[in-house]
Amino acid sequence: MSEKLLTTILGVELKNPVIAASGTFGFGREYSELIDVSRLGGISSKGLTLKGSLGNSGRRLLETPAGMLNSIGLENPGVDTFVRDEAPYMRELGPVVIANLGGHSEQDYVEGAKMLNHADIDILELNISCPNVKEGGMAFGLIPESAAKITKLVKENSRHPLLVKLSPNVTSIVEVALACEEAGANGISLVNTFLGMAIDVEKKEAVFENVYAGLSGPAIRPIALRMVHEVKKHVKIDVVGMGGIMNTIDALAFLMAGASAVQVGSATFANPETMLKIIDGLEEYCQLHNLNNISEICGII
Amino acid sequence: MFTIVKNEMIAEDIYTLSLKNAPAGNAGQFFMLRVPGSADPFLGRPLSIFDYDEDRKIVSFLYQAKGPGTQLLASLMPGQKIELQGPYGNGFPMPDGSVTLIGGGIGIAPLHYLTKQLRRAKPTRHISVYLGFREEGYMVDSFKLYCDELHVDIGGQITANVGFSLGDTYFTCGPEPMMMAAAKAARKHRAKLYVSLESHMACGVGACLGCTCKTTQGANRRVCKDGPVFLAEEVYNV
Ligand SMILES: Cc1cc2nc3c(=O)[nH]c(=O)nc-3n(C[C@H](O)[C@H](O)[C@H](O)COP(=O)(O)OP(=O)(O)OC[C@H]3O[C@@H](n4cnc5c(N)ncnc54)[C@H](O)[C@@H]3O)c2cc1C
Ligand SMILES: Cc1cc2nc3c(=O)[nH]c(=O)nc-3n(C[C@H](O)[C@H](O)[C@H](O)COP(=O)(O)O)c2cc1C
Ligand code: FES
Repeated sequence: MSEKLLTTILGVELKNPVIAASGTFGFGREYSELIDVSRLGGISSKGLTLKGSLGNSGRRLLETPAGMLNSIGLENPGVDTFVRDEAPYMRELGPVVIANLGGHSEQDYVEGAKMLNHADIDILELNISCPNVKEGGMAFGLIPESAAKITKLVKENSRHPLLVKLSPNVTSIVEVALACEEAGANGISLVNTFLGMAIDVEKKEAVFENVYAGLSGPAIRPIALRMVHEVKKHVKIDVVGMGGIMNTIDALAFLMAGASAVQVGSATFANPETMLKIIDGLEEYCQLHNLNNISEICGII
Repeated sequence: MFTIVKNEMIAEDIYTLSLKNAPAGNAGQFFMLRVPGSADPFLGRPLSIFDYDEDRKIVSFLYQAKGPGTQLLASLMPGQKIELQGPYGNGFPMPDGSVTLIGGGIGIAPLHYLTKQLRRAKPTRHISVYLGFREEGYMVDSFKLYCDELHVDIGGQITANVGFSLGDTYFTCGPEPMMMAAAKAARKHRAKLYVSLESHMACGVGACLGCTCKTTQGANRRVCKDGPVFLAEEVYNV
């Protein structure tokens, strides 16, 4: 691999700008049996909560046209177990280690962030955008004021570079992004899933126990792309883009729209090799277009 | 990518699909099948190994065209290519003694390869197979090659015909009510029963946590990675 894909986000150097999205790659254990995980730029962990959680009951998945709804509900082993068992494992895999932290209250977030100071991670991704847990999660990301407050609190209590992951389920994502930047975020990642719904017409009931669920996959790509573009037009900090990226062309579009790196989620489910193919494709694109580094196309639109 | 050598309808909405140069797996394991590059549907569909021909490296599936994913599969022609991931999942254990297999409808698919593997592992053991169908039977004859007793029932309750006894091992796959009935009977006779569960899947490898089931102890298990085969008493509170 050449230097053409070397990427720096939040002051951290990545082999390439392709990161496994939170909740779609576990802690890297399963996919490391299938693909050469060490080639990835980074891995964002499953969303962690302070005490851990069994997640939602009832049905958790439904495929929809060119997308999928999920209602996993942040099933995770808790920050403690992550610090002890999963972070050291992720470190050995090679890619940059990102811990994704969710929460139910301000105190949860602060305590979780403090515990993560003991973990050997590179970036803390603050998830204020999970639509699948009832009190909190996304609630913090919906209003600029509360997003700023939680960002500030976590920033004050964390030693790690802070990436704040935004929800697209807002009136103005630019306002939320600006509020987080001002509160001390070192970068913004977007988007988390769009709030959706499905009804089982035979049973005459909502498919998911929580009624609403999160939509991801190619169906959301054009909206996610537009949001990344809008946000990067207004903030100075790094933007990490995602939402329905399936191949090299999609990844390039997010980079051109203003992302410094991309995350890939649902497409890995469809084909575990997706991210490796994107990395090869980006390398090839740099050759064909005589780029010294992939960052030369970032934000050109 | 794998080339389709056969894709035929053998009963109403029931198809057999064969792919060449495919990797081998164990009975009870499954593959994720996907039309290359498809965005709708874009996830793979889990199908159990129905048969595997070691000499020609041909894997076969038996599937029911139900929704958009399996209907799209049914429209593919020999010569076309398909994405295949796997084999995934734990598969059935291979016990020593006498065995009884109970299949309902399309649930007979994993039991077919299981019968074959059980026979191979121990040619002298006694193998009983019970197959239940709602309207018409299919693939019944190919079970005959590998078992000592074959019982087929159309429109009834196949589990009612099975005698459970301590010491033998039982396997079941089919509609949930059928597997629950088998679990209840097995428990009564303290017989060892393995069930193969179904769940909606995205990754198939244990990463998304979308396919979990609850154990009787209240813990989560991933059907794709920790299963799909479980001891009945681990997942059914009957
Ligand atoms: C480990 C494992 C092994 C398997 N092995 C086999 C096998 O060997 N052979 C086999 O045939 N199958 C097997 N299955 C099942 C198979 O994977 C599914 O049948 C398949 O994924 C269905 O996909 P589909 O797109 O065709 O249907 P889906 O889109 O999933 O729909 C299935 C049905 O549900 C209905 N439906 C969907 N949404 C709604 C709604 N909102 N309201 C009302 N109805 C709705 C659809 O109309 C359709 O009839 C296995 C499953 C697992 C987990
Ligand atoms: C099954 C599933 C689980 C997810 N879990 C999390 C999570 O724990 N934390 C988080 O920040 N995002 C989570 N997400 C959101 C993804 O990280 C990503 O933002 C979203 O799926 C859009 O990208 P995609 O279209 O490439 O999947 C999850 C998504 C899916 C599909
Ligand atoms: S289908 Fe993803 S964990 Fe089982």
